[in-house]
Amino acid sequence: MLRLEATRQILDQAGQRPIVANLGPTSDELWHAGHRDRNFYTYGSMGLCSSIALGMALSTQEQVISLDGDGSLLMNLGTIATIGREQPKNLIVVVWDNEQWAQTGHQPSHTAYGTNLDQVARSCGIEKTAVVDDLEDLKSAFGQALEQDGPWFIVAKIQETEYLEVAPVEPEFTLYRFRESFKT
Amino acid sequence: MAWAETIVQALKNWDTSLIAYVPDISIHQVTSLIDADPYFHLVSATREEEAIGIAVGAYAVGRNAAVFMQSSGFGNSVNALASLCIPARTPIPIFINLRGGPGEFNLAQVPMGRTTRPIMDLLGLVHFTLEDEHRMDTLVNGALKLCHANRQPVAICVTQMLHGGKIA
Repeated sequence: MLRLEATRQILDQAGQRPIVANLGPTSDELWHAGHRDRNFYTYGSMGLCSSIALGMALSTQEQVISLDGDGSLLMNLGTIATIGREQPKNLIVVVWDNEQWAQTGHQPSHTAYGTNLDQVARSCGIEKTAVVDDLEDLKSAFGQALEQDGPWFIVAKIQETEYLEVAPVEPEFTLYRFRESFKT
Repeated sequence: MAWAETIVQALKNWDTSLIAYVPDISIHQVTSLIDADPYFHLVSATREEEAIGIAVGAYAVGRNAAVFMQSSGFGNSVNALASLCIPARTPIPIFINLRGGPGEFNLAQVPMGRTTRPIMDLLGLVHFTLEDEHRMDTLVNGALKLCHANRQPVAICVTQMLHGGKIA
């Protein structure tokens, strides 16, 4: 499963729900798959994607989707414990797991050596988890997550591929465009 | 009004109801009040940069948020400030117990405590330091006003001089 096609699948099912994207190709591919006001792209702060999504989930009634990555999440595993502690029903974390730090030269990440993020989530008290490696299973697991209270934690195994162009977006505009969409 | 209550009231004045923090023995005088007050949602983070991320997320959907930490943890939060909070122009007040000053007993707290404000200066992060309760109400409320007007984080450092000249 390629991240771009998986991102298109998530967008197709997400409706107008807010999506936070990890830095680098995850944000770029979200933009290419379908730029919308409710995409929150990140540019740095590696590891904080799901922490940002947690802050959103605790502050809105809407379901919030985090598109995180294995390398980034390994930098901030503590946030899985915080999600487990807070138990936000409206948070869905999807981890694109390519088992490597692809952008920095394809160095294998810890998930290539047995670290099981799904089990980390479960041991932190997140009971709704899934591991998927094709589009059909992703569609099914994500559909279930949209229907049932969370928090949800879905590990989606992906293959790395060539990168698309960097998305023409910037932090201040992203935040205030996104924020405006929550004003009633 | 004691210093901890002054901070709690200022947060309410600025409609700041989500508080992300990493525990600190002096800051506890404020966070324990926050924890007992149903107006607030106090989120315990595992690390200071995580607390910054949570606060930015809250603000991104329209809820004002603040962060509490110790100066040692400020070191853990620098990249979150530099690559998220500041470039996205997110007005997050950050309350920091500034270690390493008069009364400090732990030499390992001194280097980070002494470099916290110089690092803030290099980041262009506006900061204020509270040494006593004199005009503290004006300063804290003014700092929060500036934070929102400038749409940038503001740091408010509390010191051992403010909370009794000792660590706890």
